Amino acid sequence: MKTSRQNAAIAACVAAVVLAVPFCTQNDFLLNLSILIMVWSIFAVGFDLVFGLLGMVSFGHAAFLGTGGYALALATQRYGLSFEAGLGLAILAGAACAWIFSIFALRVSGIFFALVTLALSQLMYILADSKLREWTGGADGLPGIGRPELAGIDFFDTVNFYWYVAAVFALVIALMAMLRASPFGRAVAGVRQNEIRASQLGYNVQRLKQITFLVSGAIGGLAGGLLAAVLMYMNPQMLHWTTSGDVIIMTLLGGAGTLWGPVAGVLLFEALKEWLSGWTPYWYGILGLVFILATLYFPQGVLGALQARWGRSRPASPASPADGGTAPAAPLAPREGSLS
Amino acid sequence: MSTVIIGLSLGMLLFLLASGLTLIFGMLGVINFAHGALYMLGAYLAFDVQLRTGSFIAGLAAATAGVGLAGMAMERLALRPLYSRPHFYQLILTFGFILVISEAVKIVWGLGYQETPMPAALAGTVELAGSTIPVYRLFVIAFGLLVSAALFFVLEKSTFGMLVRAASSDGEMVRILGLPAAAIRSAVFGVGAALAGLAGAISAPLFPIELGMATNTIIDCFIVVILGGLGNIRGVVAASLLIGMVRAVGYTFMPSWVDILTFAMLIATLLTRPQGLFSRQARLA
Repeated sequence: MKTSRQNAAIAACVAAVVLAVPFCTQNDFLLNLSILIMVWSIFAVGFDLVFGLLGMVSFGHAAFLGTGGYALALATQRYGLSFEAGLGLAILAGAACAWIFSIFALRVSGIFFALVTLALSQLMYILADSKLREWTGGADGLPGIGRPELAGIDFFDTVNFYWYVAAVFALVIALMAMLRASPFGRAVAGVRQNEIRASQLGYNVQRLKQITFLVSGAIGGLAGGLLAAVLMYMNPQMLHWTTSGDVIIMTLLGGAGTLWGPVAGVLLFEALKEWLSGWTPYWYGILGLVFILATLYFPQGVLGALQARWGRSRPASPASPADGGTAPAAPLAPREGSLS
Repeated sequence: MSTVIIGLSLGMLLFLLASGLTLIFGMLGVINFAHGALYMLGAYLAFDVQLRTGSFIAGLAAATAGVGLAGMAMERLALRPLYSRPHFYQLILTFGFILVISEAVKIVWGLGYQETPMPAALAGTVELAGSTIPVYRLFVIAFGLLVSAALFFVLEKSTFGMLVRAASSDGEMVRILGLPAAAIRSAVFGVGAALAGLAGAISAPLFPIELGMATNTIIDCFIVVILGGLGNIRGVVAASLLIGMVRAVGYTFMPSWVDILTFAMLIATLLTRPQGLFSRQARLA
């Protein structure tokens, strides 16, 4: 139960920071950055369900983000639904997209899973960019996406919208914490550790994978809807496969397979991006270099490394890699039948 | 007729590209995400050297050698420490290289489109079965055939090919026998990368050179290797020609559906033969 205590401590710190930000600064840029970090965190935490918990590399998560964004945009703009209904549809759209993906992608595993999800999301990108132009606005995108209207509060005001996003963020994190600790979450972690053993124990491995992917897609859709509202603009770039790459970078930098790792990764990613783009237009390449070095020398991510150190300084409680799935050296254990 | 020639030349280009990818995968078990970026680097190098020297051959040689060396450096510095880790680490790592290579190209050659002039000797057209065919398209087909023959010969018949196959099936044993397994791996990666650079140089006079090449072509490559069966060179030949023909026919009759058609083929393949159209082994990877 050591990891859960750490998670609770981190949660307290994060909550304190999230609560403090709007009181410390009225700066629109910083507030918007904080909102973006929370939205991307929602996406990354959802992504890590598949990546860290289930141990499968999806290179197609941009599709869920994108379908969520378009669902919200279309629901609120074209059909005049409320923002909350749009967000609900975004979640459904993300889940539906993930369900369709899973039909094809779960027929293969390992590296092929990454390739198939990549190809499918690129198909979605092409569709959004050209074939569905009437709905998506093509490369021009859809401008002027609305924000929520609740109880007469003006959410176009950055501070108010900040609280809205923070509430959703808290809700998603709480749900993820419960999901990871639930019997379902434990079973999914069991599939990662040894798929054959899990199926011998009577788990329907294929079903577990599919549900995990679906939930991950639903959260991706939610993040996409929120992102569209933050940017007040939606274009196919959100569906491009480099977005899927970004979320992998974020998750791995922070620490895959942990509850707070992806959040730390997003924070690091956005901070690096802001800092680097301040003094060079070539920040993306430097970020790539940082990412390469991190993959080589720091595969457990910032939080993974911290938790490993934390665990070492207190040898009384044996580290339980099952909890949160962070065996320090290999956050994602190689599975039976991985390519060789 | 011209559709057939365009389809064949597109297919051969795809083969040059995908063969490097599949060679690296088949021998090292690594999916090189940065393959498209290396292809782009090859095109830029060929463009630059051709501009300076005025010689297409020099550009071709520089692109092949330069990208091959870059690939070897990549393998030596970044991939070698990762062979013992789960395979997706290599996939993810090579994604990082896309960013680095793209940015390096942006720094050296800028953001704009670049055009490479057609080499004078290959710039003409010929009449073939009633339609006018650019000579360069024929050259691409011939060159692709040549490279595929050379690849087969080296891998299947030569001593080096035997060593490569031995190192891929049991690297540890090859090392124990006193053979340089690590150097063989570097060489294989270098050859695979050089093929990408070669493909870049060959395609340079056909298409405008731009940064999007890195990300767009790699998807086509992946489709080819999934259809052909990863690591299966014969399958890649067949799948590249298939995709090339589908594209050429598609561009002639329904240009806006080409991409969707290609993806439909991919999905149909995955539903019916997930191990690849041209592969006999089950894909358990």
